[in-house]
Amino acid sequence: MQKMLLAAAAGTFALHTAAAADDITVGSAAAVTGPIAELVVDIVAARNLAASHVNEQGGLLDGDTYRLVTGDSQCDPKAAVDTGTKLVNVEQAVMVIGPNCSGATNGMAQSVTIPAGVVMLSDTATAPSISDLDDNDLVFRVAPSDAYQGRSLAEFAWEHGYRMLAVTYANDDYNSGLAAVFATAFTELGGTITGNEAHEPGKASYRAELATLAAGDAEGLALFAYFGSSGITILRNSLENALFGTFLGADGMMDNSVIEQIGADNLRGNIMLSQPASDTEGASYKAFAATFDSPGAPFVTHGYDIAFLAALAIEKAGSTDRGLIASALREVANAPGMVIRPGEWAKAKDAIAAGEDINYEGASGAIEFDGNGDVAGIYSLNMVGDDGTWTPVN
Amino acid sequence: MIEFLNFYLIPGFVLGSVYALGAVGVTLTFGILRFANFAHGETMTLGAFIALSLASFSGWHPFAVLPFAMALTAAAVVGMDRLFFRPLRHRSTIILVISSFGLMLMVRSLVQLIWGAKLRSFTQGIEIPWVLFDSLRVFPKHVAIVCAAIGLMLAVHLLLVRTRAGKAMRAMADSPDLARLTGINTERVILTTWIVGGGLAAAAGVFLAYDTHVESQLGFKLLLPIFAAALLGGIGRPYGAMAGGLVIGLIEELSTYPWIGSEAVVSPGYKTGIAFAIMVVLLIWRPSGLFRGRVFQS
Amino acid sequence: MEQLYGIFLYTVFLLTMGGIYAVLTLGLNIQWGFTGLFNAGVAGFFAIGAYTTAIVTTAASERHLGGLGLPPAAGIVAAMVASSIIAWGVGRMCIRLRADYLAIATLGIAEILRLVLKNEVWATNGPRGISVIPKPFEHLAEPWNQIAMLLLVVAVVAVLYVLLERVWHSPWGRVMAAIRENEAAARAAGKDVERLRIVAFILGGALMGLGGALMAHHIKFIELQAAEPITATFLVWVMLVVGGSANNRGAIVGAVLIWTLWSAAEILITGLPPEWAVKAAYLRIFLVGLALQFILQRFPDGIFRERRLRTVSSPSIKEHSPCRKCC
Repeated sequence: MQKMLLAAAAGTFALHTAAAADDITVGSAAAVTGPIAELVVDIVAARNLAASHVNEQGGLLDGDTYRLVTGDSQCDPKAAVDTGTKLVNVEQAVMVIGPNCSGATNGMAQSVTIPAGVVMLSDTATAPSISDLDDNDLVFRVAPSDAYQGRSLAEFAWEHGYRMLAVTYANDDYNSGLAAVFATAFTELGGTITGNEAHEPGKASYRAELATLAAGDAEGLALFAYFGSSGITILRNSLENALFGTFLGADGMMDNSVIEQIGADNLRGNIMLSQPASDTEGASYKAFAATFDSPGAPFVTHGYDIAFLAALAIEKAGSTDRGLIASALREVANAPGMVIRPGEWAKAKDAIAAGEDINYEGASGAIEFDGNGDVAGIYSLNMVGDDGTWTPVN
Repeated sequence: MIEFLNFYLIPGFVLGSVYALGAVGVTLTFGILRFANFAHGETMTLGAFIALSLASFSGWHPFAVLPFAMALTAAAVVGMDRLFFRPLRHRSTIILVISSFGLMLMVRSLVQLIWGAKLRSFTQGIEIPWVLFDSLRVFPKHVAIVCAAIGLMLAVHLLLVRTRAGKAMRAMADSPDLARLTGINTERVILTTWIVGGGLAAAAGVFLAYDTHVESQLGFKLLLPIFAAALLGGIGRPYGAMAGGLVIGLIEELSTYPWIGSEAVVSPGYKTGIAFAIMVVLLIWRPSGLFRGRVFQS
Repeated sequence: MEQLYGIFLYTVFLLTMGGIYAVLTLGLNIQWGFTGLFNAGVAGFFAIGAYTTAIVTTAASERHLGGLGLPPAAGIVAAMVASSIIAWGVGRMCIRLRADYLAIATLGIAEILRLVLKNEVWATNGPRGISVIPKPFEHLAEPWNQIAMLLLVVAVVAVLYVLLERVWHSPWGRVMAAIRENEAAARAAGKDVERLRIVAFILGGALMGLGGALMAHHIKFIELQAAEPITATFLVWVMLVVGGSANNRGAIVGAVLIWTLWSAAEILITGLPPEWAVKAAYLRIFLVGLALQFILQRFPDGIFRERRLRTVSSPSIKEHSPCRKCC
């Protein structure tokens, strides 16, 4: 027992290489363990991909290594505050990207990064309340507030001829907010919500809830859930029991494993998901998709973009000063300037060295931060295409 | 009416059989080793992942690899007992509970290290049910799961009633002091308990994974309902645990039935709470469980 | 230099969190250590405390109930009152249940409380939580704001420690120990066992509410994920058992020690290469579990033993023959 422990500790210490002097550390907080663990794996991989692009093409400033240190925020504000403190103080991160989950982001921003004067850039925090934080311009996010996506999906639904819909949402911070906005917007458009029920994520079966919702003669089900914790189960229960045949949903559902698990033939033509404006035909998205294994997974484009933007802000600031980096972030993201796309680090580095203004056009969208550090929500609608992947609807 | 059968009663029954298998393991360890094993949920996850690997390696049906998965999981559980629980055997209950909590963390992170946190499943696509009498919808997989669960419970019954080991287990669950006095080899009984509990947990995990999918938190999400089931049946009462599992499974599904009007009586957000509420009420009203399990008194 | 300053700030933060956990652990010690009540629902009282102070101290808001805008001190008092009331209700219902049954009942009640807080959106803003909770001393400059918060938490823990030591050595404390060790004898001596147990349950619940309130002010945000059972119930149990139940000093040391292990284990693994980023987080949890097993096997009676009753190793000594009196 003692030996096991010692061996394990020794093993970790051996792997623990202290940060070299010419490393520039950015904290990467992510909910690696906890309720959305399955979602976060790809997001972390996408962030790390951006870091390796930077390091392959000359690194930061004078060839320094871009070092992303992952901290586990567990989707819990306590854990996020804890890991944030470690990243900012022990790792001396010049900036923090992440964390996941709006609650964790909220806690970490208020009690760690804002007091420390460190800029934070989240990829997945979508709660509208984050816009209201008194943040000294230190909190940014590339995921649009839910207030946009719920409305946008309601409009899509209306345009596609839906008039009566049932709504079910996972009772968590992300999905409950989306569902509320969607239901209000759809009713304002003139549609009818036949039933609107929360469900507890992570249960083995939702047949009973679905049967109760299906009794209301809805034309389809608006399903707000993460694909893993309840989304796939609800799709399967609905289709197998012929309770619902058509579905609408948001980006938390848009993962390839949905198609793998349920089967493309069972979904083709009857599921529509909105996703923040990755124009998948656009050059930026294609540049990203060419280098990443699962570009269709939820929020991976955002994950890549925040890690790349952090590097651009450091380069633009020309130093590791936290204040300078914070003020450089908006400059490198917003127009005008030379357009930089995912993976174009060498080009960006040269342009910044030449004193040129740059404008990052991310894989997840154009990324223009407003006064609150938010991006506008522009969405695309996706369906299962002939090749069995998520394909945007024209 | 037929909707009630299709969407509330039958799913409740399937879920209940999974709970029942898990609860038997919990109640046996509780009765014989005298502690609530928090690592039991992770044992289910482990069993499901072992079966998944065996099935994808051999290409066999999940039910064909089930016996092997059960055996391997049981072996792993016995190993955990040797390493972590046996050194604490004569310590107070709370130490064992905390140790099982530590083990829960360890097993889950090992599962995540080996298999990752992503979702997997035995079968892809959806299954179209048999439609009987024009309206009753029965899924082949549910028939298989319920039959296999009943088969396993019968096996447990035979073990407990017919074999020496089973009789010793029952004796020990009833009265450990008396059992020891009559010369029962307690370590061997404990070994059997872990094997039976671990095997059944693996089966429950595989059945649930076969019905839905498997991911690293599958077992943990089942832990509380399974505790409720074991408690409902009375601690140390395997038959009670089976009944308790069915009752909890049914209550969870039936709580969302629109008994009055067209709305669910209880918001589905409270679905998990219903089982707990009934458990708490039952505890207060009948503290020995439905089937008169042991009351641990001071 | 900067590195050292950073480590200093992290240590301040670590001790603040450890101190807040110490408040929870002291509360659990009243219930389990002193009285032998197996409360597995710490998270429920923690959540009630955190939400109460959030509603009382935040600015008025449409998203949730109130926002009364009162100072943190008022919020903390309200939190203790609210969790005491809940503890009284739970105690009235369940206090007769013994050991494991009480544990499962309280576990269930805590889950129900969590579900209520999550589903009653009008009061709590549901899963979206309550934001911008004022933090004591936050207007001070860094690092003094953090140091002042730590001193506040340390002061709370110190006051609780002194009070609880007094209680523990008072006639009342001796009666509680008597009930824990031999209920029948205490009853025969004319003690109102049920009432005394409820009082202990309420006291413990009030401290858990206090811990929840301090946590809410410390992290400035509260939602249900912060009160999930692993880090809000089981971790507190680990702290008490490792520190040594029925020993207030043990409860405090256990809380700080286990929180340090839980938190600092992450620093060990951050040096792993990025392709290990995800696996390293799993590995950290594994190491925490392994270290816990090691401590349990090495110090099965906790680091600090109970001081009064040398002859027994822990309150659950009765578990050696749990069925002696039940049949």
